[in-house]
Amino acid sequence: MPERRFVCSLDELPPGGMRLVDVGKFGVGVYNVRGALYAIVNYCSHEGAPLCLGLIGGTNESAPDEPDRIRRVRDGQIVRCPWHNWEFDITTGQNLADPRRRVRTYQVDVTDGEVYLNA
Amino acid sequence: MSNAISRIIDTNVQPHFRYNAEIRRYLADAHKLRAIPDVEQQWYQAPGGDYRQDLYGEHYPGSDPETVSRHLFDDAPGGMGVDFAILNPPTRGNIADYLLNSRICAAVNDWLVDRWLEPDATNRFRGTIRVNPEDPKGAVAEIERLAGHPKLVQVGVPMQSREPYGKPMFEPIWEAAAAHGLPVAVHINGGNGVDYPPTFAGHAHTYPGYAAFMPLNYFVHLATLIIEGVFGRHPSLKFVFADGGYDILTPLMWRLDTFWLSMRDQTPWVDRYPSEYLPGHVRFCSSAFDGPLEDGSGGAAGAGKMQRWMDFTSKSDLLMYGSSYPHWSTSEPDLTAAGLGDEQRDKVLWRNASELYGLVATGLAAKETVK
Amino acid sequence: MTTIERVGPQTGQEDEIAVTIVDTDVHPMPVSGQVLKDYAPAEWVDKIWPTGNAANPVSYFYDTPDSYKTSSVRMDSMPPKGGFAGSDPDFAAKQLLLDAGVSIATLEPMCDAQLPQAEHVLKSTYNDWLADVWLDKNNAHGRWRGSISVSAQTPEQAAREVERWAGHPYMAQVLMTPQTRGIPFGNPHFDPLYDAASRNGFPVATHLMGQTPFELIPLYPVGNPAHWHDFFASWPLLYVSHLMSLVFDGAFDRHPELRVVFVEGGFTWAMPVMSRMDRIWEARRADLPQVRRRPSEYVREHVRFTTQPLEDADTVEFREYLEMMDLGDNLMFSTDYPHWSYDAPAYAINRFPADQRERIMRGNATALYGLPSTVKALPGERLDPR
Repeated sequence: MPERRFVCSLDELPPGGMRLVDVGKFGVGVYNVRGALYAIVNYCSHEGAPLCLGLIGGTNESAPDEPDRIRRVRDGQIVRCPWHNWEFDITTGQNLADPRRRVRTYQVDVTDGEVYLNA
Repeated sequence: MSNAISRIIDTNVQPHFRYNAEIRRYLADAHKLRAIPDVEQQWYQAPGGDYRQDLYGEHYPGSDPETVSRHLFDDAPGGMGVDFAILNPPTRGNIADYLLNSRICAAVNDWLVDRWLEPDATNRFRGTIRVNPEDPKGAVAEIERLAGHPKLVQVGVPMQSREPYGKPMFEPIWEAAAAHGLPVAVHINGGNGVDYPPTFAGHAHTYPGYAAFMPLNYFVHLATLIIEGVFGRHPSLKFVFADGGYDILTPLMWRLDTFWLSMRDQTPWVDRYPSEYLPGHVRFCSSAFDGPLEDGSGGAAGAGKMQRWMDFTSKSDLLMYGSSYPHWSTSEPDLTAAGLGDEQRDKVLWRNASELYGLVATGLAAKETVK
Repeated sequence: MTTIERVGPQTGQEDEIAVTIVDTDVHPMPVSGQVLKDYAPAEWVDKIWPTGNAANPVSYFYDTPDSYKTSSVRMDSMPPKGGFAGSDPDFAAKQLLLDAGVSIATLEPMCDAQLPQAEHVLKSTYNDWLADVWLDKNNAHGRWRGSISVSAQTPEQAAREVERWAGHPYMAQVLMTPQTRGIPFGNPHFDPLYDAASRNGFPVATHLMGQTPFELIPLYPVGNPAHWHDFFASWPLLYVSHLMSLVFDGAFDRHPELRVVFVEGGFTWAMPVMSRMDRIWEARRADLPQVRRRPSEYVREHVRFTTQPLEDADTVEFREYLEMMDLGDNLMFSTDYPHWSYDAPAYAINRFPADQRERIMRGNATALYGLPSTVKALPGERLDPR
């Protein structure tokens, strides 16, 4: 049964940060992505790596008119699995390459400057 | 035993000059004093002869259109019962002088038209526009020169290359081929040139060591065509890997698919699993050495499993029968089709080739064969 | 081949657990270059290790994902006490033996050098370091096994190096680079090494030795891809080249006791390669008088493959392929810890057909390396078999 749990105060989780919450079998990572809060399970859908220990950043998209044919987008929104570097969109839980390879997401709310996770 | 209506398109036949120097008749005066390699590879000739033993006689094997016609188009036992044959002649290797190399390709093309295609009253021969990838401008020009010929159905390039075909310097050539609706066939070339050793571990010490490995090099061409985005940028481009090697397709494409999930951000123009590019862009010619042994030896598949094996990576949609005539490994249609289900057999023996080369069914005489 | 019983004392005491998972590819690192230098002959220290401005080069040219940040290792494998991933035996034991449930692991240092003599000195230095730090000082539990790194360029010296370690209780195999500068494995050049390895019951393993620091990536026959992605997808063709040479050049007939392990190069390619060799051999027997048996038979008897990196193919299809391939006696599970492309045992075990699992996860490696059936448990480790 999901429970609404206190995570931390909002100023302890600034944009770009992540807090790991010990809930469930693997834990849940709560992320602040440019001011909005999201949460994903700390378990990669590939081989079970601790997903939330991975790099937070952006990704590259195809840009045919650029000399290197590439441009950086979605900064702060993508976590790369610490093992095989699969890319997941924190805001949707979807794998960027194959959206069907998703990870579970959870609701987060901020009330009175406090962050709550529903998991 | 059942009767099956079967048509057969042979997608891989190598015609030869009557003698090596005959090519000089098709070269301009400016090159009269140039030495040109013979077609026989110096390092890896098959001991006992490169060609099927029964073909040594009056003519150079594969050099007489009438003899070749009989051997391909006549019914068994004299022939292989083929309806159409795609001729893909070798040139003389990646010689250092790339401009001369392009003239050699043009000479081979002119000879092919002159000796094989124009006089062919049966209308069963089709041909290849050989080009030299080391001279991209010349290659594009050659495609433009000959693409209009109704019997030239593909462009041909060597397997041997110092850069894999996904690299950018080659792209104008593929673009021109695709614009004319011509697949690009990659085939191990004859002759001699400036090439790297044929295996990843250096030179093979035996002819079989060379022959078993060399066709597998197609995979690096294929992988780069996908990962560099060439297939992505040219939706109608088709490549034919004409020496077989499709037996190793599944394991290596599995790797290419697996690593895509990790590597996508380095090459984000690859917007789908790499194997998803295969149906629209890749075909293979069969060889005598691909695939599990039907009797279960070789530690693979085993009797009855051939059908299932061909389903991996949907190989039965990609494979086209190719005899390799007049090579010593010339294989008959029944060998390639051994163990296949009816639908797979149809695809491999003619349907995939018919679709690729636009060889319409009305031109094919249906043949009745006993399975 | 003679299996040498190479085990520590088995006390039969209560702190022993059953061996269930053998990991045949783990990469230990020296804590620092200085530590390694302490094991090297003094006159070679400045010759082998770069100095001055070249002291710590980042020498990738095929870089793995985000490697500027990850250095190609699991991001969670950096030891909490400091040092590079794989440099702390205690932390490696925690992550691999305790957390992942590995019973015994074969350690394979990655090292190579450009010049023949330097290659030999560097590798024997690594052997001394490995034997001291990992196989002795930090092996009270007896669960680490080691590899004797040898110089491919100087096979006579390599043979003497093998002899030097013969009888060591924890050295399990010989390790040679596959990047052999144009000499395929079947070439008689390697005979002295194969001879020494076979006589002493050591399999010869081979593993990619990296790009660094001396640009040892082979030139592919039709040129090199531009990205690690297609470069590494094609990498098995190097092993295919070596395997075809071992068979067609008669190495297995010259060395009937030789066992070869292809590490981290995939294994599903073995099925088509076996049938391909068989077909060519049947068609060209006269060209191959040195190949007395069917090629695929040589593979079944002489060759092993480690499983990492496992392909991400559909599970049902993958298992079906493995059943068809029928190499359940030739595959050995591996993690490649602490590298980024690590395969977790819990993930791997479900990829294999049920009747091959035990052999792949434990049995084949145990038979090949002469491993015990029980090992000492670590504090906090479950004592019941998994």
